[in-house]
Amino acid sequence: MAERNAYVLNLGVTPYMEAWDLQRSLASAVSLGEIPDIVIFVEHPPVITTGRRTNEGEVHVPPGAEVDLVETDRGGKSTFHGPGQLVCYPIFDLNRHGRDVKKYCRDLEESVIQTLVAFELEATRIEGLTGVWLERPPRKICSIGVHISRWVTTHGYALNVDLDPAPFTDWITACGLEDAAFTTMARELGRPVAVNEVRDAAARALEEVFELRLEPFPADDRAAFTVQAGSAASA
Amino acid sequence: MATETAVDVVMPQMGVSVSEGTITKWLKSGGEEISADEPLLEISTDKVDTEVPSPATGTLQEILSQEGETVAVGTKIAVISPEGAPAAEAADVPEPATAQAAAESEDASGAEGETATAEPAQEAEPGPAETAEARPSPQPPPAGDGRGDKAFVSPVVGRIAAEHSVDVTQVEGTGRGGRVTKKDILAFIDSGGAKETPAPAQEPAPPEAHAKPAERAPEPATVQAATPAAPQAGETVEPMTPMRKGIAEHMRRSLDTAAHVTTTFEVDMARVVAAREKLKREFQEKHGVKLTYLPLIARATIDTIGDWPWMNAEVRGDSIVVKQYVNLGIAVALEGGKGLIVPVIKSTEGLNLLGLTRAIIAIADRARSKKLLPDDVQGGTFTITNPGGFGAIHGTPIISQPQVAILDVEALVKRPVVVTDDDGNDSIAIRPMMNLCLSYDHRLVDGAYAAQFMRDLRERLQTWDESAY
Repeated sequence: MAERNAYVLNLGVTPYMEAWDLQRSLASAVSLGEIPDIVIFVEHPPVITTGRRTNEGEVHVPPGAEVDLVETDRGGKSTFHGPGQLVCYPIFDLNRHGRDVKKYCRDLEESVIQTLVAFELEATRIEGLTGVWLERPPRKICSIGVHISRWVTTHGYALNVDLDPAPFTDWITACGLEDAAFTTMARELGRPVAVNEVRDAAARALEEVFELRLEPFPADDRAAFTVQAGSAASA
Repeated sequence: MATETAVDVVMPQMGVSVSEGTITKWLKSGGEEISADEPLLEISTDKVDTEVPSPATGTLQEILSQEGETVAVGTKIAVISPEGAPAAEAADVPEPATAQAAAESEDASGAEGETATAEPAQEAEPGPAETAEARPSPQPPPAGDGRGDKAFVSPVVGRIAAEHSVDVTQVEGTGRGGRVTKKDILAFIDSGGAKETPAPAQEPAPPEAHAKPAERAPEPATVQAATPAAPQAGETVEPMTPMRKGIAEHMRRSLDTAAHVTTTFEVDMARVVAAREKLKREFQEKHGVKLTYLPLIARATIDTIGDWPWMNAEVRGDSIVVKQYVNLGIAVALEGGKGLIVPVIKSTEGLNLLGLTRAIIAIADRARSKKLLPDDVQGGTFTITNPGGFGAIHGTPIISQPQVAILDVEALVKRPVVVTDDDGNDSIAIRPMMNLCLSYDHRLVDGAYAAQFMRDLRERLQTWDESAY
């Protein structure tokens, strides 16, 4: 099948709200056909985000912890983002990718599984528990939460590359899963892993799974969206 | 009858392998008007939340499946009576929907495109598919004032609250779902909300009246308790629309946040009138656009902002954030008194007069036809409101947060004014005069700064140089 052109945008470390504003702005543009599908890669400063289906008891941050709390419109329950985690927001028009939310989630998982293969980590899915897991014993390495409006996706996945996974269990009951274990690529590989190093593999996996050809988001187009980014950047 | 023409809303097919969906949130309540394609509800499948647009324009007559219910694809979940069809009486609206609406607050300006979620804490795991005769949910209506969420704050906010002995539930939250952000709590403390903060010396109020949170004006959310006021003889009662509630909340919050001061300048518009007369025909014939005074005044305002950057700024905690771009909000009244929306034209500093005219026309049209995208109402840095079209000659507008100023354009009227000729002789002349009223936030902008900004704006308009545009 022919590959479609799409953009990729590497934001580096960016506050959650700023990236979210940009996502929404880009989603409007994708929805209107002004730009093709686009993938955002980003790392966030420590933040706990809750989804539409988060229960209050899931969040139990100790007093004084330096972490923001944001309620989002994505699916799923609470999760934690922090530096050392590769966050990927594919803004795709699913009219071009099969109009099937379950297939989209499975495809996202597949792209993460392929990303991990590049690091010789064998990951898998667990039926009924969206996300990507390592097995024996099950430990979660990647969380997924998606929002769709007019078949255009926002939010996406967060892959634990190299960070302390304690907040997933100490600060929140991540994803509403009691007793779930969380892990990171660095922990599994027994060596430090840079987010940059994983990002390229992640981009290639998305190209493969979604039949895309990613090219950098052109500066001209990007200028049209710096308004939102800029307003939050000065925070 | 409405039923003859009613349009059914069904649980959409979200993929070949998807047989059911869970309703996570109704974005409209029974009796509310909705346009085709406007988001009506959110459903959840797997870890995906999806906004479902309305299939028709009309009134949301009935909600058949409540939040938290999981129903099979194709199940009828709501009924819309199309435009022109008689809408269901308010009494027909299922109770939970009404209560839910009361718990929602929607920013009128849509400044952040947020809707509060006051979902009852309940397990929303997909249950067995329910059939078309979906039973009403047994869930209790959420707390009417939507405050349940507020205790749910970040540790940073919690710590600040503890240090200043602030009751977080008394702070107006601007985060999603009305949550209290760090900025909110700092602003609250700065505004004297914290009990520890001494009242400013010049404050004339007696000590017991000083900004004690509990004594602040009742918030709209509280006014909107789930039980509607019972009508008394000679009264009619109708529920506030989410937009009305949003406006109420936003206006109240702005007055509670900014130190509003208004200054008024009289401007001799003779040159602007002449310039418009000249350009009007050209714009109409060459470009097909109608040139009003608004784009000319807006253009001069944007240029003047370039010299007075604090007019285009934001107070964020203890910081002054100056924007390098002017995202101009234009207040647009919706027809039939249905409310007010402030669409935003982005990066106006780069638009010439024609571009700005087109942008204003386009965005006002989109606002009136409800075609605004979320982006169209976000990120404003300065707002112009234009009640002069109705003949107003003075106003004290309320600032659209988190901006620091709003310019009120008043009516253009011929007035007798004293003019002085080159020899110093005074005479009375008839001149086209206009008042411009600027409300600004005295937390950031002092009177002299505002007056100099207005002086320069007046100068630009009085000496309108068309070659510059």
